[in-house]
Amino acid sequence: MAQVILKEISKKFGLIQVLSNVNLEINSGEFVSLLGPSGCGKTTLLRMIAGLETIDSGELLIDGKRYNDIPAQNRKIAMVFQSYALFPHMTVSKNIRFGLKINKTPEDEIKKKVEWAIELFGLKGLENRLPKEISGGQRQRVALARALVLNPKVLLLDEPLSNLDAALREMAMEELKRIHRQVGKTIIYVTHNQVEALSMSERIAVINQGKIEQYDTPRTIYDFPKTVFTASFVGSPVMNFFDGIISSCQDEIGIQTDFVFIKLDAERMEKLKSFKNKKVKVGIRPQNISYAEHHESKRASDTMIQVSIELLETQGDRSLVVSKTSSNIILRFMVSRDINIKSGEMVDVFLDGRRIHLFDPSTNINIFY
Amino acid sequence: MNIYSVKDKLKKLIWVGSIVFALALILLPLYLLIKYSISDASSINTGGAPIPLWPYHPTLKCYKYLFSDTQFYNVLSNSLIIALLTVIISMILGVPAAYVLGKYKLPGRHLLILGLISVRLFPDIASVIPIAEFFIKLRLHNTYTSIVLAHSLLALPYVIFIGMSAFESIPLDLEQQARVMGAKGFTIFFRVLFPLAMPGLAAAAIYTFLLSWDEFIFAYFLLGLGKITTLTLFLKQKLAYSPPQNLLATISVILSVPVIIFSLLLQKYMAAGITTGSVK
Repeated sequence: MAQVILKEISKKFGLIQVLSNVNLEINSGEFVSLLGPSGCGKTTLLRMIAGLETIDSGELLIDGKRYNDIPAQNRKIAMVFQSYALFPHMTVSKNIRFGLKINKTPEDEIKKKVEWAIELFGLKGLENRLPKEISGGQRQRVALARALVLNPKVLLLDEPLSNLDAALREMAMEELKRIHRQVGKTIIYVTHNQVEALSMSERIAVINQGKIEQYDTPRTIYDFPKTVFTASFVGSPVMNFFDGIISSCQDEIGIQTDFVFIKLDAERMEKLKSFKNKKVKVGIRPQNISYAEHHESKRASDTMIQVSIELLETQGDRSLVVSKTSSNIILRFMVSRDINIKSGEMVDVFLDGRRIHLFDPSTNINIFY
Repeated sequence: MNIYSVKDKLKKLIWVGSIVFALALILLPLYLLIKYSISDASSINTGGAPIPLWPYHPTLKCYKYLFSDTQFYNVLSNSLIIALLTVIISMILGVPAAYVLGKYKLPGRHLLILGLISVRLFPDIASVIPIAEFFIKLRLHNTYTSIVLAHSLLALPYVIFIGMSAFESIPLDLEQQARVMGAKGFTIFFRVLFPLAMPGLAAAAIYTFLLSWDEFIFAYFLLGLGKITTLTLFLKQKLAYSPPQNLLATISVILSVPVIIFSLLLQKYMAAGITTGSVK
């Protein structure tokens, strides 16, 4: 277990700035996800921690010690590659014992550790199979077992679940969480999949174009996105955005948009007073727009609007509705699939004022942050 | 539906037909060789009657004759020693070169590779004269050293080439994984890269062995007049005295046996998709 600190880390590949001034503090035993679209630099960051990429500038500290110039083989950091990188000419058990063997672990200790790992990851009976003779899910578990037997300071995972199908992925996610609880290792997990990041990690660093957009708990990232990027990248379906201006109407402060005057919760309405006449980018998740029929008790912070239904997309138990406001702004929201609405219809919906996000259009940063 | 199946059947027939034809072309000389090697005199000198498709009285007389000849044993062991030494020398020199060229993007790498290929651009008959002269000046002609070095020279470009692609095809992830796990250069090479490049390297070794085993031109120029006789030179010597056809055929069969066996082995190695399953 170890604490990992990144200080002002930058990296260039040729002329391309891959990472710029990344600062990150990962506590000992913490499960942190690096979440971002492909090409954002998250894997490069992970590889720098592993020692597979050099650090152009900045500092990597592990347990307070500078690690910039320590070669990968001496870092005692384990990494699971996206490809799993199992040694194809070695059986499952040989793959697991490889690291122990080259680190000159005594034979009886190797035996004990390999047995422990095989037990922990449910690999009994597969010991003598070659990687090509086991399934994708099993390969992923072998890769994890092989990493964990080395008792690493930090465990780095590079999109380890991206090769699994949906059902297996869910199982693997539960298993990873269980393993983390059991062994308590510091885990740094790279993914572009927000579900994985939101459901497993204790903190998420959202990365975009080589910069950290926000670093916080999954809940805060979801409920209180710092930037427009975080707000639109995290959460599914994607958040609705439209423009507005902070103004007052009948002594009440709120956001004037070209189709409605939106109210917020009382607490934030109070804060809004200092932003009067400020232009804002308004964001609201599809989950926070509700179909009026099922909204018996309207809260004071709710705003009712009328929209016309454009199309409906059934997603299993729920449907995604794409609708248009009177000013032709597209709003997406969710309804239960039993609700009988058709495209072309006009319906009333409520915008949940407590879940409205406001961003400064010039900086794309949340005005309450 | 029916039309398609008729068309498919016709297609299949044409395919199978061409394969059978090609196979017949390839196997005909082999059949003739084997037939002659086990023929008795009456099946060769038929006195005007057509030569039979299979000898009247198949016999292993020629094999028995050759294998009771101590000179022939000597010749066999010469060829074997030269081929094995060539394999050892060209692997020792070629594998490290293949590793470096396959794994590191050195500046001038393409130039080096081009240089290697250029060695094989000259026909053997053109390069043999300067090489023979070189060894004669060093007073190394008629020695194992000269022929082994010459054969290694011929084999090295192949060893490096085949080996290079063998190393190149190993995913970088495996190497880096080993490094992260604490392995250093030598460990990574011997425990990860070498075993994975093994099929390719084995193919290169077998190819080298065969190249030396049935090589004639260099053997003729470098050893021609000396005490060391290889199998190909032996065949040439026998040919000069117009010996019975069945004896010549027998020598040729013995010369071909390792070629056939190793070629089959090679095929198995070449086909092995050993990296499947490691990296998706």
